[in-house]
Amino acid sequence: MNQEGAIDQNKLLGMFNRGFELLMDKQNPRDSLRLLFSPNDRVGIKINTISGKMLSTRPDVALSLAKLLLEAGIRERNIIIWDRTNRELKDAEYRLNFNGSGFRVFGTDTQGVGYTRDLVDHLNIGSLFSLIQSDMVSASISLAVLKDHGMAGVTAGMKNYFGAVHNPNKYHDFNCNPFVAELFETDFIRKKHKLTILDCLLVQYHRGPSYHPHWAERYEALLFSLDPVAADFVGWQLIEKLRAQKGLPSLEEEKRAPIYLKTAEKMGLGKANSSQIQVIENEV
Amino acid sequence: MASTGLLKQIPSLLADLYAFSRNENLSQVEARYYKQLPDKEIECFLCPRQCKLGDKERGYCGVRENIGGKYYTLVYGKACAINSDPIEKKPFFHFLPGTTALSLATAGCNVNCKFCQNWEISQVRPEQVEHYDVPPAMVVDYAQKYNCPSIAFTYTEPIVFYEYMYDTSREARLKKVRSTVVTGGHVNPEPLQELTKVVDAIKIDLKAFNQDFYTNYVRGELKPVLEAIKIVARSGVWLEIVYLVIPTLNDDPNEIKMLAQWLMKEVGPDVPLHFSRFYPKYLVQNLPPTPISTLERAHKIALEQGLHYVYIGNIPGHSAESTCCPKCKNTVIQRTGYTIERIELKRGKCKFCDNPIPGIWS
Repeated sequence: MNQEGAIDQNKLLGMFNRGFELLMDKQNPRDSLRLLFSPNDRVGIKINTISGKMLSTRPDVALSLAKLLLEAGIRERNIIIWDRTNRELKDAEYRLNFNGSGFRVFGTDTQGVGYTRDLVDHLNIGSLFSLIQSDMVSASISLAVLKDHGMAGVTAGMKNYFGAVHNPNKYHDFNCNPFVAELFETDFIRKKHKLTILDCLLVQYHRGPSYHPHWAERYEALLFSLDPVAADFVGWQLIEKLRAQKGLPSLEEEKRAPIYLKTAEKMGLGKANSSQIQVIENEV
Repeated sequence: MASTGLLKQIPSLLADLYAFSRNENLSQVEARYYKQLPDKEIECFLCPRQCKLGDKERGYCGVRENIGGKYYTLVYGKACAINSDPIEKKPFFHFLPGTTALSLATAGCNVNCKFCQNWEISQVRPEQVEHYDVPPAMVVDYAQKYNCPSIAFTYTEPIVFYEYMYDTSREARLKKVRSTVVTGGHVNPEPLQELTKVVDAIKIDLKAFNQDFYTNYVRGELKPVLEAIKIVARSGVWLEIVYLVIPTLNDDPNEIKMLAQWLMKEVGPDVPLHFSRFYPKYLVQNLPPTPISTLERAHKIALEQGLHYVYIGNIPGHSAESTCCPKCKNTVIQRTGYTIERIELKRGKCKFCDNPIPGIWS
């Protein structure tokens, strides 16, 4: 990634190839993705564009993933790159496409989309869901940006689904715990979620989720995981490592460790324990 | 735009609004009661949550946003619900009885009551409901046009549209239209004190008299609400209290007794207290409507503690909808639902015994 944020496409493709190979033990992404998705799937790529151009899931990353899904046999029209609003998508430099040919890129606030009519009432969650997540996709990828978060501690793949409901502002009390885990456990998410990929090309390790260049590290990595909790746990460790390198207190010391990960583990959504997570790092 | 909205309008008002402008844009009016922090962060001081937010983030209320280090209200002049209601519906029982209030709301709320009766507009972001451009002066004009001697900021939580409410109330006072506020009272002292300078009556929904309930069912704090009650009482603005009685959750007789004792001590016997019937709604669907006997028990307890004006609400035709003179026990205002059957007051005093009945009667 150069200073303006432009991405070397070949290197990016190399990262996807290697990431899927290590994750799924297949020679190419096409075969890997075929293990996760069927040709009839309508695949949602839930990106995160709340923080503007510099700190959103990059269009190059999302479109590269969409192309790999296409090569794996998913129909082009059945691949939806989405977030909650078209304004945020445009600010992050996505080209909207609701009805045209090609991959579909649009927000929940697109005319004719919107939210479910009925509330989903699950534990402490009471929300309307984006019809994209509830009805329009059959399988889901969380393609989030790894960021420090003033309230949650860390925002990554699981919290990315806050953008799938109408009232995310109601879930930030108590370090977002248990809300992140409980939202993920709802049928519309847990039954559809297949894969987490964290865009760690630029990691906001302090004062997130807003973009602050002096606390953002060009880490230039993608993080792949089938376990949504483990993905975020590893992301958290990465943020802690960067904070330590920069002489910042840990999130625990700042009383904002992402305790929702332990809650998620207790709920059986995945692992939040280093001893049970295998991390494979590979440089492309 | 999502179709979760709710727009309540009287037909002629509807025509007026359609003729004006239905609008999908949000406002960008600088908010009051916040301070700027380094690195484009802000801290809001409007309510006890005191949200600290980075650039592009919104507060818990969902209607105030940090844009580049300045905090903005997105709902100034953006009414999503507007109607002409009987003042008794708010409910205000000691404030201009038998009149109508031009009642309006924007989207948003700073708590998240699991039993919210208007969650379709209170628990959503402003983009998710239809709204209309109705700036303060126009609200006052409508109130006059439709013979409403008062404006009520209601349905959602008016504190979250503080600037709009404040400016409208100030404008209304110039035109001799009164302003009333229906609030959960989850607000910081300073903005509330300022608000009391421009409004005429405030109804506070006291959701329970214990913090656990506020934590688990309201997502808020009890203490600031009690403080708000005291501030309004001291201010001279007319105050009424509503307590929605929810079976098994906040109907403990001891809790009701403590509440009544606290009101007696802190604001005196003359503050009207309404015990309202709960109906299943939003996220509390597993409980029945409040039994009438439970409401009557609460009513009796509060009277026994010395409160003079205790009412039962949401049960049209119940005798405890009416106002009795605490001295001679005669009925001085007889109500059936939102209808005033008769008023036996003369210059704010009981017609039968000349006892003053507190309130704003004309």
